[in-house]
Amino acid sequence: MMHCTMEDLGALQAGEGSVWARRHIITCAICQAELEALYQRVAQLKALPTLRPPRDRWPAVRAAMNAERVRRRRSWSAWGGTLAAAALLAGILLVQPSILGQSGNLHAELIQAKQQSATLEDSLHQYDIDGCVLSGHAAAVVAELEDRISDIDGTLATLAQRNVGERDAELIQLWQQRVGLMRELVTARATRARYVGL
Amino acid sequence: MTVAFAVPDVIVARAQAGDEAALEALYRAFETPVYNLARRMLRRPEDAEDVLQETFLEVVRNIKQYRGEGHLWGWVRRIASTKALMRIRRDQVRATESLDEEPGGPGLHVGANLDLERAFDRLSETSRAVVWLHDVEGYTHEEIAEQMGKSVSFSKSQLARAHARLRRMLDVGGAP
Repeated sequence: MMHCTMEDLGALQAGEGSVWARRHIITCAICQAELEALYQRVAQLKALPTLRPPRDRWPAVRAAMNAERVRRRRSWSAWGGTLAAAALLAGILLVQPSILGQSGNLHAELIQAKQQSATLEDSLHQYDIDGCVLSGHAAAVVAELEDRISDIDGTLATLAQRNVGERDAELIQLWQQRVGLMRELVTARATRARYVGL
Repeated sequence: MTVAFAVPDVIVARAQAGDEAALEALYRAFETPVYNLARRMLRRPEDAEDVLQETFLEVVRNIKQYRGEGHLWGWVRRIASTKALMRIRRDQVRATESLDEEPGGPGLHVGANLDLERAFDRLSETSRAVVWLHDVEGYTHEEIAEQMGKSVSFSKSQLARAHARLRRMLDVGGAP
């Protein structure tokens, strides 16, 4: 007599057994016992004791997490330096309308936003970013702002691959957002610097 | 292991803002279930510890993407199981060797009447992963197949083979 395979039993357990298996299990005591054993094994597996980590890994997680944050912050700071140079070049171009030609208001707005961002970037460097101690709340605000700026920088990098005509309006919007966030960041840092008397 | 950990929304919000104390609170809430899941799927405790650490670094990186859809534990568990499965894939040679070994491994005769935990420990990591995710965590074969990058029938046959081995090791008798 043919009996259910383990796959048949698994399917029966899941309520998906074949017509043959569903008929067979009704009349076969051996397969009924196997199915019952399967149910019991699963129940016993669920009842196995919870295994706990042998040591505290939080210090390692925290160290890695903070290292990543520092890396990310340096990365967008480096971006900022590049952007400052780009803004400087853009400023030179701005005072030479003949070079700019017919680029129009969009370019002017873009250059202005970049200059503002570069100025704010310079202001930020007046504060010791890595050295000063922040309260939990201030650190959270600063981290949030830095993350948002980092996101914008990522998008700016992506946009740089596209044609100039397609991206100008979007670039201006992003740069203006960046300027807004940089202002908030400078304010957050400046407030903290005044507070500790830097 | 079906777990329903309640993490207050305010902790999640603070963690999303980068608050270290809130991130630690999340870690404390989930360290044991994540380790348990990884340890049940993986043979070596040190691998499970690494998965615990990798999982939380991923949680920290992506907590802002968590929008509150579904239970937070479900989201964390998904990351943990993916990390554990990646480790199994990375150590594929070891897993394949284990997969082909006789149930119970060398030196253990069939019908040694092991207890379930010891028998389960003797399964290959691939089999352990499928059994644990399906039978204990309640994943469907479709979900397991997707996470493992395999077919649904692979997941089903792994589960059946693993149960057949467990059954033989536990010596319940009366093979179908």
